Amino acid sequence: MSVSENNATIAANPSASQEQTQESSEKTHFGFQQVDKNAKASMVAEVFQSVAAKYDIMNDVMSMGIHRLWKRFTIDCSGARAGHKVLDLAGGTGDLTAKFSRIVGDSGEVVLADINDAMLRVGRDKLRDKGIVGNVQYVQANAEALPFPDNSFDIITIAFGLRNVTDKDKALASMYRVLKPGGRLLVLEFSKPTSEILNKVYDAYSFHLLPKIGELVAKDGDSYKYLAESIRMHPEQDVLKDMMQDAGFEQVTYHNLTGGIVALHRGFKF
Amino acid sequence: MLVGQLLSAGIEFTLNQLVQLDPDCQGRLKKLSNKQLQVTVRELPWSLLFSFSQQIDVSTLTPSDQETSTESTADCHITLDLSTLAELKDSSKISQLIQQGKLDLAGDINVAQGFSNLMKELDIDWEEQLSNYTGDVVAHQTFSSVKSFFNTAQQEIEKLADQFSTRLTQPDAVAVTPAEVEDFCEHVNTLRSDCDRLEARIDNLIASQQDDK
Repeated sequence: MSVSENNATIAANPSASQEQTQESSEKTHFGFQQVDKNAKASMVAEVFQSVAAKYDIMNDVMSMGIHRLWKRFTIDCSGARAGHKVLDLAGGTGDLTAKFSRIVGDSGEVVLADINDAMLRVGRDKLRDKGIVGNVQYVQANAEALPFPDNSFDIITIAFGLRNVTDKDKALASMYRVLKPGGRLLVLEFSKPTSEILNKVYDAYSFHLLPKIGELVAKDGDSYKYLAESIRMHPEQDVLKDMMQDAGFEQVTYHNLTGGIVALHRGFKF
Repeated sequence: MLVGQLLSAGIEFTLNQLVQLDPDCQGRLKKLSNKQLQVTVRELPWSLLFSFSQQIDVSTLTPSDQETSTESTADCHITLDLSTLAELKDSSKISQLIQQGKLDLAGDINVAQGFSNLMKELDIDWEEQLSNYTGDVVAHQTFSSVKSFFNTAQQEIEKLADQFSTRLTQPDAVAVTPAEVEDFCEHVNTLRSDCDRLEARIDNLIASQQDDK
C-alpha cells in the first residue's frame, strides 16, 4: 500500500485478493444467485461501475429523498465532533463524508473509502466541486482487509455497503481493529420491515417497480434487480446485531427507520 | 423517528440559503469557523447542534447521544425555553437573560453572541435576488409597486383611524373627549369635598346639641 498526499487515491491490499483466490471453491450469494466467493467482489464492482454516474439521482428517485434523512440520522448518532477522525467506508459518492468534513473541521480528518474506483472518482469530483478539500482523503480499500493501522478512527460508518461485502464477519473484524477504543461503528443498511403489510408493499415495489425505474433512469434494470435481491439476502436486524457482538463490539443497538426498511446499527469498542 | 432530522434539515436549509443571499455574511461566518453551538430548548426532546464552517450544519442530539458522546462537547451550550428563543435575536440581552435565570449557558459566550449577530446583521437585498430570476426592470417595478402599496395602505389606515376617532368625539358622539372626562372628574372631586364638609358641619351641630342638653 502506498500512502498518498491529501485528496489522492490509494489502492490497497493485493493480499486480500490472494486470500480470496485460495477460497475459490467456496460459494456465496450474489443477489439470489450462488457464485464463487472470489467472483462476488468483481460482480459487485461491475454493478457499481455501471450505476456510479446515476447513483445519486437514483437514490433520490428510489427512496423519494428519504435516504437523506436516514443518512442525517446516522450522522446525528455518530457523536462526531471537531478533531475527530472518521472513516466513511463504502462511502460511494460522499454524502456522509461531505457533512463529516465540515463537522470535524480543520483539526479532524475524514477518509472516504470504497472498493470501487468509479464510485470513488464520482465522490471525489462531487466533493471537490463543493469546495470540500483539505481534511478529506480518498482510499480505494476492501472492507475485509482495511489498510489502516490498529486504533486509527474515532468513528466508522458504512452506509448501504455491508450487504455487498463478501465476508461480512471479516469486514466487521477489520473495522473493529481500526477503530479506536471508545470509538463507534455505525452500520446503515437495508433491513427487514417490521410490519407484514409493509413487507408485502415493499416486496412489490422492490421486485416490480424498482428494476423498471432503474431501466428508465440509469438504463440498467439488472443492477437494480440485484439491489432488491441483495437486500433480501442481507442479515436481518437481530442477526446483524449478533454478528457485531461476535466481532467484539459492545453496547450494540439498532434503530429501525421507516418501518424497518432500513436499520441503523451502532456498536462501541471499549 | 425522523422528525428531528426533518426539522434540522429544514433549519439548515433555511439558514444556509439566508447566509448565501448576504454577500457580507461569509466574513462573519468565518469568525465562527470550526466552532459548535448546542442549543437545548426545554420543550423539545432533542438538542440542536450548529457546526460552523463555510456553511452551517445542523444536527440533532438525543439525550442518549449526549450521554455516550466520547469526549469533547460543543464550544458553547445554551439551554432555554421556547418563549426565550425570540429574545436571543439581540445578543446584548444574553447576559441579562442569564441573570434573569431564563437562559443557562456553558462554555464560550462569544460563540452564542457571534451566531446571534450573524442572524441579526443579515442584510439581504431582496430586489437584487428577484432580479436574478426576472431581470432588473421587472424586479424594480415589482418592489416599487409593493412599496407603494404598503405606503398607501399605511396612509389609508392612519386616515381611517383619524376619521373613526373624530366620529366618536363629535357633538352627537358615542364617546367623550379626554377633556370632558377630566372636567367630569373635577366635578366629582368638588362634589366629594362639599359632601365631606357638609358631613363635618352636621357632626359639629349634633355634637353641640348634645352638649347643650
